[in-house]
Amino acid sequence: MTALEPQPTGTIGQLTRQLVGLGGLRVRDGGATKGTATIRMQPGTLEAATHALAATAGIRLADMFADNSTAVTTLRLVWGHETGYLITETEIAGGEYPPLSDIAPAAFVEECEIYEQFGIRPAGGKPLNRLMLPPHAGPDFPRLGHRPPQPPEEVHAPHTVGGQAFEFPFGPVRQVGAESLYYGLVTSGEEVVDVYLFTWHKHRGVEWRLRGKTPREAIFLVERAEGLSAVAAGWAFAAAVEAATGVDLAAETSRTRAVALELERLYNHAAATAALCQSTGLTVGQSAAEIALERLLRLNAAVFGHRYLFGVIEPGGARRAPDGDALRAGLPGAYGELRRAADALLSTNSFIDRLEATGILTAEQARRLGLVGPVARATGLPVDARSSAPGGPYAEHPAQVVTAGAGDVLARFRVMLGEAAESVRLIGEFLDAGTGAGSVRLPAAGGSGLGWAESPRGEILAWAGLDEAGRITRARLRPASVRNWRGFDDACRSQNVFTDIPIIEASFWLTVAGMAR
Amino acid sequence: MPLWFARGLRRGVVTTRYPARPDVSAASLPTPPAFRPGALTRDLAGRLIVTCPSQALRMRGEGQAGGGTLVFDAGACTACGRCAEVAPEAVTASGEFELAATTRGALVKEIPLAGETR
Repeated sequence: MTALEPQPTGTIGQLTRQLVGLGGLRVRDGGATKGTATIRMQPGTLEAATHALAATAGIRLADMFADNSTAVTTLRLVWGHETGYLITETEIAGGEYPPLSDIAPAAFVEECEIYEQFGIRPAGGKPLNRLMLPPHAGPDFPRLGHRPPQPPEEVHAPHTVGGQAFEFPFGPVRQVGAESLYYGLVTSGEEVVDVYLFTWHKHRGVEWRLRGKTPREAIFLVERAEGLSAVAAGWAFAAAVEAATGVDLAAETSRTRAVALELERLYNHAAATAALCQSTGLTVGQSAAEIALERLLRLNAAVFGHRYLFGVIEPGGARRAPDGDALRAGLPGAYGELRRAADALLSTNSFIDRLEATGILTAEQARRLGLVGPVARATGLPVDARSSAPGGPYAEHPAQVVTAGAGDVLARFRVMLGEAAESVRLIGEFLDAGTGAGSVRLPAAGGSGLGWAESPRGEILAWAGLDEAGRITRARLRPASVRNWRGFDDACRSQNVFTDIPIIEASFWLTVAGMAR
Repeated sequence: MPLWFARGLRRGVVTTRYPARPDVSAASLPTPPAFRPGALTRDLAGRLIVTCPSQALRMRGEGQAGGGTLVFDAGACTACGRCAEVAPEAVTASGEFELAATTRGALVKEIPLAGETR
């Protein structure tokens, strides 16, 4: 691992000039990703550029993906900054590229995924884990690119501690309603020595299925890539398509999306509260939180016609406007239910004792692993995609970013509660400012764009490339779960005992669907 | 614990009376489509099949004597409402959300096309 001293932060413009100084070429016309700065780097300078960006304070590697819609596979790195995003793209002619996760550890998950899907790998022969495609994926199995020459490995920490540790397999079928997920828990009986996950059971090939579809056909699958983030994923994808085609939305339509997004955050945080109660064995508290959750889901149905807010977003607009009267009438009661349950939980020592000092992550871990959402904010990092938008509803009505410092489960719970209160405030402002439905016709034009949204789990990114007929050549979805599962391993190993794992999982509130897609 | 006991007493029973009584929240749920056979032409059915994102619609008996039918699989339908948007004159929301059946085939329905005898 290369140690890097963070340098003073810079704007996207300063970073662009820095990369151009390293031999990068600023792409401005048809080949550029719209909505962000695009720098084309030669393979020989990619490593130096990654070093320079990773060493700059305030810059984080937000995503990395491959695209083989042209003759040569292109590797794109998306860098997040508080004022926006920057993309570097490099054509990879051979089967290898520089080992970028040695410089920016956040890239490791994507290195594994690119190897499975495209068959290209970082140089140096480092082992890469199986993430998305099942072990039985043969030559005919749908994948985005080429089959790797060797199957991915399963690399884990040493499984013996003084000869006493053993592996406790758990899953992939777990409890009622829980997603398929295999836990490899390595324990000496009480303390968690290591934990590793198999997430590929839920792979559905969503990105592969999106190829060749029009954006309006694709949104149906995008919403279902991670159903608990249907609005956020839909908005990020729609924004990418709108950037690619140069479509601007009416302010009322954008505010409709924002209302739906904040409702999505509210019900997710209520669900996470219920899951925390379940994991701590507090069934009465669980029931109280689930009452709040059910009221919020019913409110979603009354306001937008769907309990999980599917069908609100469409590329170019919003299919439904919120029923403002129903929302104003129902929101105080539903949120009040959650607030009362949360207040009672915060007064219950047996609950707080289980959360405090459990599953600790530091801000440095969160930064190195590129964590996002409440998990990162609970360590003190103010990462929030709502503040990265140059325009739109959150520029008119800024969201107050809620942070905490302890980095434990309790800090994550407090961040969620703070965000729920902020969502209620924002919804009121959006309704007062005016909302509406309607969509702009998307021109059938080629291009590519980047979109993003802040889901309840954190930043979702989407990149869409369109051909001249307006059909998708490559669509990349990067839900927050992709990032934060990486931090889950570290949180579980932070001097926790076996029974802390469900509590940590509830506080992360991630999905396997988003990871495996 | 006394806190939670007192909360429970104050809150009372909150579980729904469904299915003994209708659940009021059902009125705002998305439901699968209901078709008006008299307004469902072959051309319209073709547009609906292309529109459906979950392949819940298909044609049967196309090109055969005796007329075709639109086959609707409620088990594949996600109640997204796109079909009703495309052809409001022929498709409406059914309002029916109790879709349980004892066989898979019971979820599949055939809708005759307008102007085609069977």
